[in-house]
Amino acid sequence: MSYKPVLTRTWWLKHRAFKAYMLREATVLPLLFFLLTLCCGIYALWQGPSQWQAWQITMKHPAVLAINSLALVASLYHAWTFFQLFPRVMPIRLGSKTLPAQVLIAGQWAGLVAVFVLFTWLFRGSL
Amino acid sequence: MKPETELKRSAEPIWWALFSAGGVCFAVFIPAAIVFLAMLLPLGVVELTYTQAQSWYFSIWGLMFTGAVVVLPLFHAGHRFRHGLHDLKVQQHTLVKVLCYGFASALSLLCLGLWCIGYFN
Amino acid sequence: MINVKVARYLPEQSAAPFVQEFKVPYDASTSVLDALNYIKEELDPSLSFRWSCRMAICGSCGVMANGIPKLGCKVFLRDYEQGLLLEPLAHLPVERDLIVDMDAFLKHLEAVKPYLINNETTAVKSATTHQQTPAQLGKYKQFANCINCGLCYSACPQFGLNPEFLGPAAITLAHRYNLDSRDQGKAARMPLLNTAEGPWACTFVGFCSDVCPQQVDPAAAVNQSKVESAKDMLIQLFKGKL
Repeated sequence: MSYKPVLTRTWWLKHRAFKAYMLREATVLPLLFFLLTLCCGIYALWQGPSQWQAWQITMKHPAVLAINSLALVASLYHAWTFFQLFPRVMPIRLGSKTLPAQVLIAGQWAGLVAVFVLFTWLFRGSL
Repeated sequence: MKPETELKRSAEPIWWALFSAGGVCFAVFIPAAIVFLAMLLPLGVVELTYTQAQSWYFSIWGLMFTGAVVVLPLFHAGHRFRHGLHDLKVQQHTLVKVLCYGFASALSLLCLGLWCIGYFN
Repeated sequence: MINVKVARYLPEQSAAPFVQEFKVPYDASTSVLDALNYIKEELDPSLSFRWSCRMAICGSCGVMANGIPKLGCKVFLRDYEQGLLLEPLAHLPVERDLIVDMDAFLKHLEAVKPYLINNETTAVKSATTHQQTPAQLGKYKQFANCINCGLCYSACPQFGLNPEFLGPAAITLAHRYNLDSRDQGKAARMPLLNTAEGPWACTFVGFCSDVCPQQVDPAAAVNQSKVESAKDMLIQLFKGKL
């Protein structure tokens, strides 16, 4: 007779690595909120100038600002984990050598910064 | 283990490809999008008039924006949410799958539809 | 002296597992396996556990040390001065004390055909040697270091949630042979890797790679297998076979 303990719903609370994993998975929750506000913005843009103004006022609400700030933190945490995983899932081989993971990780952070530069350039008129 | 003749190919590569592409977008495009559209814009640091927003969004760039900042991240979120519920031992796998990807598809279609109307008008 | 708690299970005495505490003397070189042998020889001969090589190569002495899968011979009491709880490897049925039933794990290993498959006739085989360049070896070498200890299965919550999941070591081994230039068995392995119980049940928790005593990085192999399975799907799609 053998016994087998069953994994409980709270298994991920038992170890730091599992908590970090669940936190990574949970980054999509504030992301989802930001995506919903963005979709509302697109809908408002389609409706007309007064709705566009109304959307901007809603976005100023402290709760909305707070959750979207949380989404920013979540996106950066996700980026930090995702950039590290990428070279392990798709190692790039040049001849007999594998491209060092640090190069790929740095390249991805450079991509993130480049998008910031692009946005700054787009909004350069009003900055 | 099932006998080899009964092995069924999973459709997961499709969802995983969308999830991965969305993951790249979430990491690379979303941080800047949040900072500019959800923080600096409402705080009045930058301005985006209705005319400017309209001419930007209802162009071919708007389609790319929708893909990279809305559609793919939505599928990324749907996929993680689905697997997250499995991790929390929610057993209704088919229902969860339909709801997660259904929600991502519906919202994506809405945004793409709005873009089409605006672009072709 | 360190307090070592050991999860006991003696089915002929009691249907329920229980925890027994032992005081074990130690010095800087006392491994957890040494502690178990001390308990068996000096304190309680009824204690059962597996072991063999004492040098982290046979992969027999896997246990949960304070909830983390470890090889008993590769961790030391000096690192557990706050106390140590030893339990049988997680996610596998427990037969007795620290002895688990590895059948599920071994069946999954066997199912991925973890050996060289090629169609050459015996005559050709004996006439040629299978030469490999360092680059060809480099492709799979890291994944060839697996010692089948099963720690990655105990570290994997997805295997714990779904015992049908092929699991880290089996998928890593399949990937290792798929990457081998001498092997032609990929087509025979892919059908299993394309199922929902193949790499697709993995969510890259990554803890399997953290606990691997051989630094095999099974999580990387599993996720590279996802790429292979996705490619396989695309190829079959273009061939019109899907």
